[in-house]
Amino acid sequence: MKRVLLILKYSPKLTTGIIIILSLVLLAILEPTINYYRLGGRSSTEIGLFDTFLPPSREHPFGTEAYGRDVFSLLLTGLKYSLLIGFTAGALATAIAVVLASIAGYKGGRIEAFITTIANAILIIPSWPILAIIVLFVRKVDLFLLSLILAFFSWAGSSRQIKAQIASLRERPYIDLARVTGFSDLEIMFKEILPNFLPYIFVGFSYAVTGTIMAETALRLVGLGPADIPSLGQFINWAIYSGTLAQGHYIIVISPIAFLILTFVSLNLINVGLDEVFNPRLKQVTGV
Amino acid sequence: MKKSIFSYLINRILLYALIFLISLSAFFFFINLVPGDPVTRYIQMMEQRYGLSTPASEIVIQKYKEVFGLNKGLFERYTSYLSRLILHLDFGPSFVAFPKPAIELILESLPWSIGLLGTSVIIAWVLGVMLGTIIGWKRESKISSIVFTTGLVISQIPTYLLAIVLVMIFTFWLNLFPMGGAYSAMLQRSFSLRFILSLIKHAFLPSMSLVFVYVFGTMISQRALVINVLGEDYIKLAEAKGLKSSRLVNRYILRNTLLPQTTGLALSLGFIVNGFFLIEWIFNYPGIGRLFMMAIREMDYNVLMGITITTMFCVLTANLIIEFLYPLIDPRIRRG
Repeated sequence: MKRVLLILKYSPKLTTGIIIILSLVLLAILEPTINYYRLGGRSSTEIGLFDTFLPPSREHPFGTEAYGRDVFSLLLTGLKYSLLIGFTAGALATAIAVVLASIAGYKGGRIEAFITTIANAILIIPSWPILAIIVLFVRKVDLFLLSLILAFFSWAGSSRQIKAQIASLRERPYIDLARVTGFSDLEIMFKEILPNFLPYIFVGFSYAVTGTIMAETALRLVGLGPADIPSLGQFINWAIYSGTLAQGHYIIVISPIAFLILTFVSLNLINVGLDEVFNPRLKQVTGV
Repeated sequence: MKKSIFSYLINRILLYALIFLISLSAFFFFINLVPGDPVTRYIQMMEQRYGLSTPASEIVIQKYKEVFGLNKGLFERYTSYLSRLILHLDFGPSFVAFPKPAIELILESLPWSIGLLGTSVIIAWVLGVMLGTIIGWKRESKISSIVFTTGLVISQIPTYLLAIVLVMIFTFWLNLFPMGGAYSAMLQRSFSLRFILSLIKHAFLPSMSLVFVYVFGTMISQRALVINVLGEDYIKLAEAKGLKSSRLVNRYILRNTLLPQTTGLALSLGFIVNGFFLIEWIFNYPGIGRLFMMAIREMDYNVLMGITITTMFCVLTANLIIEFLYPLIDPRIRRG
């Protein structure tokens, strides 16, 4: 515990990032309760609950939108779904990345070449149009399936980083020692190597979360994907198509964008912070 | 020495051809294995959209399937698609603009995309490398750390969200820039000054939404690279020798960061293109991204396949060109 506090004190970027993302997650978790009290048990997506385009006031801190819904409640619901999809897909992508990177980095040889080629192909090729066509053609996309599809396109980046880390760990003497002692490959992977790059796994995870939320928002923005999952991207889509901008109600468009950017920025601050804390090379040069 | 460069180039070309073929095949099989064929799906969509109650007769569907070659087996379809694509550069006819071939639609919009995207990426990259080198070199100054922290925040904004914000501010609020399109509808295409000014004015906001984000993205990675190089012993030696700092930055630091930075550009190109589809859609720019969005709305299957394959091909070619530059940047590759 003391060590954690020391790390937090050492890197203000890490601390800021963690505080922002935790507040966002807390808001998302409290969404059902908050919206229950604000809307008296009715759904935040129900059309015509209030007058349209009410200005911000005490009852409606961000006003209401073109379909007479409370913007603040919609924001919370959107945040909940965006984070849910992001974290589900991010976790799936990280799991794929860890497994494949462990196999590639530890085994080496042909298997490594194969996995690396696939990962590079996914990284190099513009995958969003493919993603869009898949979501267009697969009927009945639910939250889990959507996350799975998103995860398939976002494991490559983190697997690269993790693989590089494993490849360097593989050469350490204590791994040889474990091998001589008679540990199996799996045991070495999960008992000796994995604990050493947990921070890197987290970095990979947060990249994957950012990537999947970005891709999901982009899909929903153009009107693709499950209409019954009102994520922040869907909210922006509603706002744009209902002529909100032309009528000058900028806050309705700005607020979901701000929530998304806060999410991305906080995750990135955590990444940079972790790098500051755990990358000895950086420490040496910057002299802190 | 000549020979090793040659084998390097051949090696790269083959690798990219392989990646292209694998992605193309995976994509083809996936699309074709999803239940339902595009013709039936298209007709269902038309029925829903226009409230037609009589289902299109089987004969019509069969006829269309024949035209699109959908009544054959999966493998046969794959080989005929590939041979048609490679030998005749043919993606098949567009559904909506039938019988206009999909490739024609794509070729009409491709130059717009490549022009706008290419210019923006080059501007962003060059500016980013310059800024990153400066703030990495002067990393202790207060201004550098302010620029760095600002960059950390801005580089995380997705380009398409910034595009929406820019449209909001400059088009709707300040009314400074036009809403969309590539040039004013009142002008004829010509080489006149007015037309060129109109082109620039329309390209400015879409280009800015990309440049603004990627300048900072490149700046941050360049700063990290510079700081890593600064830790090397040869920099200390060069400093101890009393080399001028301009020479130190140009010959010792910049040169050593250029290779990984170029690799970074090659790797992020696909990601940049992803965002660009949405930027074109937001600004109604007549490029390939907008064509894609229109094809999605109309479920124009051949155009969708065609655009995806064309962008894959363009990005891989751009990557290949970048890799061909490596031997120029790094003498180690030249010597094999």
